[in-house]
Amino acid sequence: MARLVDMLVSAVLLAGLYATMAYGLGLIYGVLRVVNLAHGGVIMAGAYLSWYLHEQLGLDPYLSIPVVFGASFALGVVLYQGLVRRLPRGAAGGPASLLLLFGVWLVLRNIAYLLFTGNDQVLRTAASSQSVAVLGSHVAVNRLVVLGIAAAIGVLLHLLLRRTQVGRAIRAVAQNADSCTLVGIDVNRIYALSFGIGTGLAGVAGVLLATIFSFNPSSGSSELLKSFVVVVLGGLGSIYGVALAALIVAVVEVFAIYVLPSYLTAAVGFILLVLVLVLRPGGLFGQRVLS
Amino acid sequence: MTARVVAMAARRTGGALLAACVILAVLPAVLELSSYTHNQLTLLFITISGALAWNWMGGFVGQVSFGHAAMFGVGGFVAGRLMLSLHLPPPVCWVGGAAAASIFALGGHPLLRLRGPYFSIATIGVGEASRVIFTYWERFTGGSSGLSLPIDADLKYRLYWWALVLAGCMAAASVAIRRSSFGLKLLAIKADADAAADVGISATFYQDLIFVLSAAVIGLSSGLYASYQSYIEPADMFGFERSIAFVLMAVIGGVGTALGPVLGAVVFVLVRLYLLSSRPDLYLGLYGGLLILIILFEPLGLTGLYRRGQRWVRRASGQAPGGAP
Repeated sequence: MARLVDMLVSAVLLAGLYATMAYGLGLIYGVLRVVNLAHGGVIMAGAYLSWYLHEQLGLDPYLSIPVVFGASFALGVVLYQGLVRRLPRGAAGGPASLLLLFGVWLVLRNIAYLLFTGNDQVLRTAASSQSVAVLGSHVAVNRLVVLGIAAAIGVLLHLLLRRTQVGRAIRAVAQNADSCTLVGIDVNRIYALSFGIGTGLAGVAGVLLATIFSFNPSSGSSELLKSFVVVVLGGLGSIYGVALAALIVAVVEVFAIYVLPSYLTAAVGFILLVLVLVLRPGGLFGQRVLS
Repeated sequence: MTARVVAMAARRTGGALLAACVILAVLPAVLELSSYTHNQLTLLFITISGALAWNWMGGFVGQVSFGHAAMFGVGGFVAGRLMLSLHLPPPVCWVGGAAAASIFALGGHPLLRLRGPYFSIATIGVGEASRVIFTYWERFTGGSSGLSLPIDADLKYRLYWWALVLAGCMAAASVAIRRSSFGLKLLAIKADADAAADVGISATFYQDLIFVLSAAVIGLSSGLYASYQSYIEPADMFGFERSIAFVLMAVIGGVGTALGPVLGAVVFVLVRLYLLSSRPDLYLGLYGGLLILIILFEPLGLTGLYRRGQRWVRRASGQAPGGAP
């Protein structure tokens, strides 16, 4: 029983990270209908940036979040304006954009490798060695902080999309870009903005990831796949859907780790992805992400 | 008239292919190739077969797979196991590997109803999951220390012609598929699976068929590769980089063109030889940059460049486009 509570608590804590990873991928797909294959690469880059700021300037990783968000936002806008926008119309959703963004991922991996070598890195702060008792199980403080930040990001994103003029424009473009042009919305700017926010959130997810797990330049493929599972399961309709889906993925993973031999746990995310795509491609709530 | 032009072009391509294969087949006898060149050419032929097989799936039907290494690994390890445990002659083992890879591909049937990015992302999942699982399955693959196969220097020398025959057949098959009604059906599915279904072309059936064929060839080439290396390990055979290599070769040469991947494989292998000896640290990034440039400026890769050059030459020599028959 105590073990069950332990596992549930750690699943909830993990879910925050997964939700943060998924927001960016879902936003970009919802608005531009492009699967950002460079998503995992941006998460990896965000992890390295916060690690670098911590090592060189002694900046606390949680305080570096605005910096990392700004940098990866800028990266996203450049990627959109420089690359994605140049794809011929209609090709943006097809194999062309996949291959293009896959190329971006390879380049990001190579840059990280050249700058920081292929070694595993970890980000250790004061918070990673402290723990507190939650529901009778010991919980590392850094994991609690990650959950708190993830929840805050979810609320902020919700407010941005629902309560501001820009958010209304983003949602309108997601529904029908052509009509938006008619009423005077600069669709291209909304696309660039959404791509920027999406990659910005991926960068922030990288910071959160770096404070919990070790990472190296090839990190990112399992993060990409888990984000994708969460987006497909949760649909694009609401932040709550994403949060619930993230929780489900985290619970399945934590329990699978408990049941399976340790070496196979690396495959859990991949297998989950295939199962979700095959069994439940319409998501949990019937809002089909699949066209 | 058009039919005659097409038939003529087909005969010309067929003739050129046959001539290239004959020249390559007698090359070792005429030129006394160094064993290094001999071996590199053998590997190149194996690689070409793989690139063409990937293109059947990624180019002809437009289902971009980032997980073809899974089939390569299954084919290679089944072939290797057959050699080690049953001591069957290598060609039988290769066919066994090919059969295993196609059965593995049939298991991917549920994934084939996914289209576009969903299929591609699912293949990343399949590729990575099989790498982890097969590395874990030590009794079959030898785990991270891999399998050592019987070394046969004579067979390794003769592999040159085995691989050449496979690559030649693959090139001929690619041209034939491209020109047949089967190829047109695949094109229709690529353009719009629903519309194709409306005119009676079952996307499910034809996709399964081409996927199984592609997997069989990948499995076969992997068996040859296993015999060539006489040592195989899961991290290499199932590696993500191997899946990426299939994609890159096809994209560099020209996705969806019949023979572009041959060109792509040649360039890929040459660049890799150069990079691995001089700048191994730039390996991935250079290919990533190349991918970006090709998609942005010449989606048909080298084939597109070649066609552009052809048009340019024709214009420069003052001929009207199309020319007199």
